[in-house]
Amino acid sequence: MPASASTDPGEVSDLDLVKRSQAGDTRAFDVLVTRYRGRIYAMTYHLIQNETEAWDLAQEAFIKAWRALPTFKHDAGFYTWLYRIAHNVCYDWLRKKKIQGDGEFDDERTEHRVAVGAEATPKGDLSPDAAMTNAELGQRIQQAIAKLSPEHRQVIVLREVEGLAYEEIAALIPCSLGTVMSRLFYARKKLQEQLHDVYETSI
Amino acid sequence: MKPPSEEHDLIRWIDGEMNETERATFEERLKQDPVLAKEARQMRDLSTSLRAHLPAEMRVPHADYFNTQIEVRITQMALDDTRAKQAAPGWGIMLQWLRQPWFAMAGTAALAVLGFFLLSPGTGDASESMILSSYTPNTHVQARTYHDTGAEATVLMLDGLDAVPAERKVSGIHIQRSEVEPELASTTMFDVHGTPVLMISRDALGNPMITPRG
Repeated sequence: MPASASTDPGEVSDLDLVKRSQAGDTRAFDVLVTRYRGRIYAMTYHLIQNETEAWDLAQEAFIKAWRALPTFKHDAGFYTWLYRIAHNVCYDWLRKKKIQGDGEFDDERTEHRVAVGAEATPKGDLSPDAAMTNAELGQRIQQAIAKLSPEHRQVIVLREVEGLAYEEIAALIPCSLGTVMSRLFYARKKLQEQLHDVYETSI
Repeated sequence: MKPPSEEHDLIRWIDGEMNETERATFEERLKQDPVLAKEARQMRDLSTSLRAHLPAEMRVPHADYFNTQIEVRITQMALDDTRAKQAAPGWGIMLQWLRQPWFAMAGTAALAVLGFFLLSPGTGDASESMILSSYTPNTHVQARTYHDTGAEATVLMLDGLDAVPAERKVSGIHIQRSEVEPELASTTMFDVHGTPVLMISRDALGNPMITPRG
């Protein structure tokens, strides 16, 4: 599972801050928020692909964590626990969007928005990094990820961003190992299709 | 469409999840199957790019406001919990507001004393006037109150307070009821005529803000 942020020797440990938070110290909890907001926000942003919604959901995760603090048993790291909460908050939100029939995350959507200035034709024998700037490639990747279904985006973020093992992903979602591997395969396949002009030339 | 086992092998090869034997066998297959080899390498390159372009940590827009909003909502939840337990909804909320550590920042004057009273109209009994909460920089100061029927006023007694210069104006506000606006995380207080007289909220920087109304 994701490891907690490295702390300086003089820095108050997560454990101390959590204990103080459990006793009702909102200032201690504020330190935890500051420590992990960047990582939680990155996760919600990658999953939701909308800055405002990701901001709100990251907040929601911290608030849910505050409410659930009395049940936190210290048998897992605080960040791992917080991460699970944030993941569930996002996934619930995505599920609601899907139920509401919002097509924003529809895999089948064929619209292919390409960033202004981004290359859209094969690059001959140039490598991806040489074919377009890092920023352009990053933008193309974000756009491609935004078009994945929530399930596919979820496994990509958990694997590629958080570096979770298949077993950890399966436990978090939860689903079988086979499902994790299949989703990873199809998620990458769909990304590959959307970025074919970039990767077609990488052999 | 590939059989699931082939998909899984491809994924496990990309993610380095194969043992030595499995990897050697799979790479032998790649040598025999140029189409599979191309797909595998493209997918591996894609994976490398994803890791490079999806940061695990991002700058949170308006980070201070992010924290402040969380604190406000936590405070609000505490107020709601207290409110649910209170026989007289509304007053408990104000009590909790005033108990919050940040509320202490509202006291700027050394002798500032802030008190809110609840007075049930009609009987004029002293027991019906009570201090819901108070703040003073000097923690030795004890506040108590009673209702003077003759004066038709609530009298605030401050025991332990240093001598107050005669020109210092000390006053209290008679609050009849309060309303909480969860969206704004604010509490508005009303007098006996139902006129809003005070609103407690926080500014964009999270500092407590007491705004006279009406």
